[in-house]
Amino acid sequence: MLGQAIITTIFGAFLFPLFIRLLWGRLVTRFGAIGGFLAAITIVGTIWIINHGIKYHLIQQGRNGWIDMGLAAAVGAFAASVATGGEIRKSFVNVSAAVVGGIISGIIIVYMI
Amino acid sequence: MKFLRSTLGYCLAGVVINGFWGFFLNKFGLLGAYGAALFLTGSMWYINHYVGLIKHDEDSAFIDMGLGVAISLVAKNYIINGVNSIVNSIPTLVYVVIGAALGGYVAVLIEKNNRKTNCEKKF
Repeated sequence: MLGQAIITTIFGAFLFPLFIRLLWGRLVTRFGAIGGFLAAITIVGTIWIINHGIKYHLIQQGRNGWIDMGLAAAVGAFAASVATGGEIRKSFVNVSAAVVGGIISGIIIVYMI
Repeated sequence: MKFLRSTLGYCLAGVVINGFWGFFLNKFGLLGAYGAALFLTGSMWYINHYVGLIKHDEDSAFIDMGLGVAISLVAKNYIINGVNSIVNSIPTLVYVVIGAALGGYVAVLIEKNNRKTNCEKKF
């Protein structure tokens, strides 16, 4: 990876959890479930276009692999909740559930093609 | 039971979001991402984190459904392209993790500073 690609990748992954942490919860406390849908269309739609959609996107991928920006959301929300006093040991059940569920859904998607 | 319903939640998020995002892009071009974000991410967020199909303990650290989405794409590329696809996306993985951890931590710093200086607007 080139130097410019490293900087754009780090910056693209930096933007997404920052917006989620600062906007999503506040919109939900203000508008209820409607606020969550509003946050989904504004944050996820816009940041996806910047990170993966446009020609000069921020998160640069390898030759034939793909790292989705969902990983950035998960890691960023995890880091933020750890910084505000969440316990890492209690989240192991959820991490293993995410790994098992993610692999199962990957197999299902291959069958869908 | 808790493990099973959380697994179902992450699996459902991976299948719905990854399976139908391309449909919106093919149909409406780049701006179809907004429709995909509203219908797919919004509804999966509602089921998983608002209704609570993915169960967290009281003081547990939060694992977003995005982890399931990302792992599902890695598994898909592993099945189609072999172990090569994982090896040549390791640099992207490392830099994404660095940037994301930095982003979450900076957001917490902003919140703490706002609370200290009392400059957040009250609704």
